[in-house]
Amino acid sequence: MGSDTRTATRSGPGFEPTDWIGWMDARLFALCAVSTVIVVLGGLVQVSFGAYSMSVVEAWHAVFDPAVLSNPDVILALLLGGELPELENATLIVWNIRLPRVLVAILVGATLAVSGAIFQAVTRNELASPYILGVSSGAGLAVILTLVVFGSLAYMLPVIAALGGLTAFLAVYAIAWKGGTSPVRLVLAGVIVATVLNSLQTGLFFFADDLGVVKAAISWTTGSLTGTDWEQVRIAIVPALLSLAVAVLASRQLNVLLLGERTAASLGMNVELVRFLLATVGVIAAAAAVAVAGLVGFVGLIVPHVVRNTVGSNYTRLIVGCVFVGPALMVAADVGARLALSPVQLPVGIVTGLVGGPYFLYLMRKKHELGDL
Amino acid sequence: MRLRDRLPGRTSESAESDTEPSNAGATTESGADAGADTDPDLGELTTEDVVLSYPNSGPIVDGESIAIPAGEVTALVGPNGSGKSTILKALANQLTPDDGQVLLDGRQVADRTSKELAQELGLLSQENTAPGTLTVEDLVYHGRYPHRGFLESVDEADHAAVERAFDLVGIHDLRDREVGSLSGGQKQLAWLALVLAQEPNVLLLDEPTTYLDLHHQLRVMDVIRTLNAEDGVTVAVVHHDITQAVRFADYLIALEDGAVYDWGPPEDVVTEQLLAEVFGVDAAVEFDQGEPSVVPRRALD
Repeated sequence: MGSDTRTATRSGPGFEPTDWIGWMDARLFALCAVSTVIVVLGGLVQVSFGAYSMSVVEAWHAVFDPAVLSNPDVILALLLGGELPELENATLIVWNIRLPRVLVAILVGATLAVSGAIFQAVTRNELASPYILGVSSGAGLAVILTLVVFGSLAYMLPVIAALGGLTAFLAVYAIAWKGGTSPVRLVLAGVIVATVLNSLQTGLFFFADDLGVVKAAISWTTGSLTGTDWEQVRIAIVPALLSLAVAVLASRQLNVLLLGERTAASLGMNVELVRFLLATVGVIAAAAAVAVAGLVGFVGLIVPHVVRNTVGSNYTRLIVGCVFVGPALMVAADVGARLALSPVQLPVGIVTGLVGGPYFLYLMRKKHELGDL
Repeated sequence: MRLRDRLPGRTSESAESDTEPSNAGATTESGADAGADTDPDLGELTTEDVVLSYPNSGPIVDGESIAIPAGEVTALVGPNGSGKSTILKALANQLTPDDGQVLLDGRQVADRTSKELAQELGLLSQENTAPGTLTVEDLVYHGRYPHRGFLESVDEADHAAVERAFDLVGIHDLRDREVGSLSGGQKQLAWLALVLAQEPNVLLLDEPTTYLDLHHQLRVMDVIRTLNAEDGVTVAVVHHDITQAVRFADYLIALEDGAVYDWGPPEDVVTEQLLAEVFGVDAAVEFDQGEPSVVPRRALD
């Protein structure tokens, strides 16, 4: 019997480290299921409540309005921004205003969480977030520069923010590079670049004489989903899905990188190249989020820890978990941001900070080895 | 007294015909894709006049030529700072020589892609880090990294190599344990299994037993001997403990200040004079019917 059991566990649903189907285990499944429920419930609340109020049942009907769902043209028109046919009011509000905001929240949550997980492995630093290599300060400076100095370019803000973040990331890498680089060098270079850019950013506020501009800038640097619609979905969806797919496929590289640079190299990994490519994937994911939502904090730092606490540090499971838990946190936080002080909408970054901080504290008190990658 | 005449180059007293330089040239072609089966003729590592240094340091090793004969267990011994680990790094292509070259089966290690090299050459360090929640099985499967493409999933060869690694090291019982829950000795055995799953022709070990208790020290060295005997894998091990190195190695390379002091079978190399001159130790050395014993008595000034 003993040997039979052994064979059974080997070939059964037990985890084979490299099987593409085998990575799903009970805990990961439960985590993904709970997250999906939270996203659905949060999404339902988001589409039901607001200035135009409707009951949950009405909202539910609107979401599943056959006029939209059975008509690919309408979905395409929404997604690509074309002419919409005549629709019921409820359907129009749900599909045109409220649902895209939920979709953006899902995209932002997933990309930030996965990006954070990648950077925690690349820098071998449990406090790493998507912004550790200068993305936030670069994007922030670019945004404020645009709002304060080049006001006429404000319509290109998402692109400018993403480009600012990418530029800062490349600058960090260039500074850290000296015949190769290391996690510590990268993190230090990130701190250097962030310090300089943040000073410039704060300095620029003095030149803003319009309170509206300052508010817009603060809303960007805290992260906000106010006013997002299909336009934002269009901006973020391609880089988001691409970077998420690559991250899942590259999870084995992340696992090997976690064994340390020396081991990775002796196993035949081109460590510098792989590290740079992985960091680039992480930055693209973060840039997609920053472009549509600004600098939402805490999600990228906390979600990987929450997932790691449940499924362990295998990156195949970790990344998949992040793809589900990130949206759950983001959608739930946005419910608070949009409805808590209605009609005033808060930047969602304030809520993620308020929810994330205490949760992190709870984890820290409860677990001894919280940071263990 | 430096016994330069016995240095690689080399005189026939080693009686190992398969380590003749002519052979190394002949195997160059097949060296690149030797694959899983270890050819006993493959796996000769040599350095030619290598100059090795670290950033911000003078040369640690200044123009040395050494040879790790194919299919044998060679130990690099010497006091701290004698350059033995530095040479091992160069052999593993983790340190680029300032001058000279490192050859594996007649071809420069630097000419291979990192994956090609990792298919032929495995390296085990003294200390390794892994996420604590990683299971031993997952860890060992990472040894298949050089044999797998970016999107390739595990195939039969991978399963077989991992099973064989578990067999050789004898740690089937640790398979589902998390790395973080293992003792230092168990950890090192798990890492040894990872390197074996790599199926290298050449195995380099950098002080693999330094922090282990006696039981695990002997287990590690036994596994290495078995691997060498059964698969003909070439082994080069940096060893701080000369009494153990003498027992396990076919050849010793004794280093002093980054230069080769002596080279050859243990009974020729390990003398009371070597221990005094290289290690600064007054010791009694005896070879009783091939059973070597080194008994250190006191440190010399």
